[in-house]
Amino acid sequence: MSEALAAPDTTVDLAPRNPRELVLRNPVMAASGCFGYGQEYAQIIDVQRLGAFVSKGITPKPRAGNAMPRIAETPAGMLNAIGLQNPGIRGFLKKYPPIWQHWQVPAIVNISAEAVDDYAMMARLLDEAPGVAGIEVNISCPNIAAGGYCFGWDPEMSADVTRAVRAATTLPVIVKLSPGALDIIGVAQAVEEAGADAISLINTLVGMTIDTRTRRPVLANVTGGLSGPAIRPVAVRMVYQVAAAVKVPIIGIGGIASLNDALEFFLAGASAIQVGTALFVQPGILMRLIDEIEAYLAANGLNQLGELVGRAHPAHRADVTADSDVALAVAEG
Amino acid sequence: MQSAAGATMRPREFLAELLAIEPVMGDSAILTFTAPEGFAKAVGAGQFLDSLCRPESAHDPLLRRPYSICSVDRARNTFTILVRPYGRGSAWLINQPVGTLIDTLGPLGNRFEVQPKTNRLLLVAGGVGAAPLVLLAEEAVRRGQSVAYMMGAQNAEGLLPAHVLPEEVEYVVATDDGSAGAKGFVTDLVGEYLRWADQVFACGPEPMFRSLRRVVLANRIGNAPPVQVSLERTMACGLGACLGCVVETKHGMRTSCVQGPVYDMDEVIWS
Repeated sequence: MSEALAAPDTTVDLAPRNPRELVLRNPVMAASGCFGYGQEYAQIIDVQRLGAFVSKGITPKPRAGNAMPRIAETPAGMLNAIGLQNPGIRGFLKKYPPIWQHWQVPAIVNISAEAVDDYAMMARLLDEAPGVAGIEVNISCPNIAAGGYCFGWDPEMSADVTRAVRAATTLPVIVKLSPGALDIIGVAQAVEEAGADAISLINTLVGMTIDTRTRRPVLANVTGGLSGPAIRPVAVRMVYQVAAAVKVPIIGIGGIASLNDALEFFLAGASAIQVGTALFVQPGILMRLIDEIEAYLAANGLNQLGELVGRAHPAHRADVTADSDVALAVAEG
Repeated sequence: MQSAAGATMRPREFLAELLAIEPVMGDSAILTFTAPEGFAKAVGAGQFLDSLCRPESAHDPLLRRPYSICSVDRARNTFTILVRPYGRGSAWLINQPVGTLIDTLGPLGNRFEVQPKTNRLLLVAGGVGAAPLVLLAEEAVRRGQSVAYMMGAQNAEGLLPAHVLPEEVEYVVATDDGSAGAKGFVTDLVGEYLRWADQVFACGPEPMFRSLRRVVLANRIGNAPPVQVSLERTMACGLGACLGCVVETKHGMRTSCVQGPVYDMDEVIWS
């Protein structure tokens, strides 16, 4: 770049069809369950610079969580079965939104429940809470009314939850998809139709590891959610498929640990990304990604992040030029 | 649990240069590292560091490894950790050459809390649990307090070498095979020191905690002396965010990375 240009536009509108808006300064978000309530990392990074962060999952009632061990390291990944330890929606509302209302960074609250009415109840309570910029709905929970079958594995049940939350709040609503769904495209279309402003994916994959010395499962909960670089190709594939099937913005999640990883998700069709497990390894990664994404756009002559989004899809094949090849080479370097 | 000694330091990610490797306790080693400015004066016994134990850009092993700070050299601003190569991360770390830069996060966690009226400290160590109690002994000796440092191992080779501890410390050892000190468990020796000690501090494997607790409950008068334990849990974030490393206490789940690793023995719900 010889001539001085304005900094590339990295803003992202995650709720274009919602008057309450959810506009992020940049596409880098901290993922639910990996970032506490924002304060934990505020001692080590500038949390206010983030595009947004998503809180630990909140449930209708307080939960003590699962027995230990709750985490187990696996190849290029980890399993967790924390068990949604949290103070419950009412305890949460007293403690955190009053802090967040003085923050610049949008705080998004992740909610989990085992009944449709409970999702709606929490959304209603969050609707007028100060300092809450949006809701992320975790549908990777057992539906008690359906015998414990996961909401997020079924398009109709996923739509039921989304519709109930949508009716209970005017806040931007992000629905977080479960990779356990047999038909991820069907679920994505169902939640879009039911009123989701945006879709985030993927949640963890259910996994398990066994200690061959004790001959027992490592996790007290037996199974846990697999996260980290190990799941990234699965996540990229699902983002790619869902991006071709819905119009709402997509937030890509799954093993992002570098600029190149983030670019894969943008190219697959994500407008923003969430980073989770990599935070445990590199607490500074969110700050680095913000800088590196902006530098990448500038170095490749892109004025807007949006110019990258979905570029891996066939509809864009005609656009592929020598310039794009250079861009990718830079990303890989 | 937070001592008043020195200024506190917020956790940070830094590159620590490996300066020296001293083999100890058979297969283990004490590693000496450089530290960020002011670090050695700011940290306290019980606090730990979370080290990346793999080559840069690799994803395996994924997570950082927690190591208690074993000692500090305030004049040179260096610190040591005690590494036993029983996991993949530690096996990698202990084999790095001098000069390697290790990505380190810390200082993390709370500290052993020595009460103002305490003059006599009984420290009970097992295995790599010896590490945080070395720093506690250094701090106590600097304050002019009396320290009895007890350590148990299978044999003489498994014990921390005496020169690692300040000269003023009374070092009492027990071995399973009687090759050094008393034959038997270190916790067998605790009973006779309980009347002497104003406070007890312990770090070691779970079975050691269980037998220590039995001895303490059988011998102490009322709640005296109070016992603080440093507990190790598998850990991910180190910053209190992921809730992967909790310890169940009478006041609910407490993270061992921020609200621990040091707990009052009587507050912990022992399984």
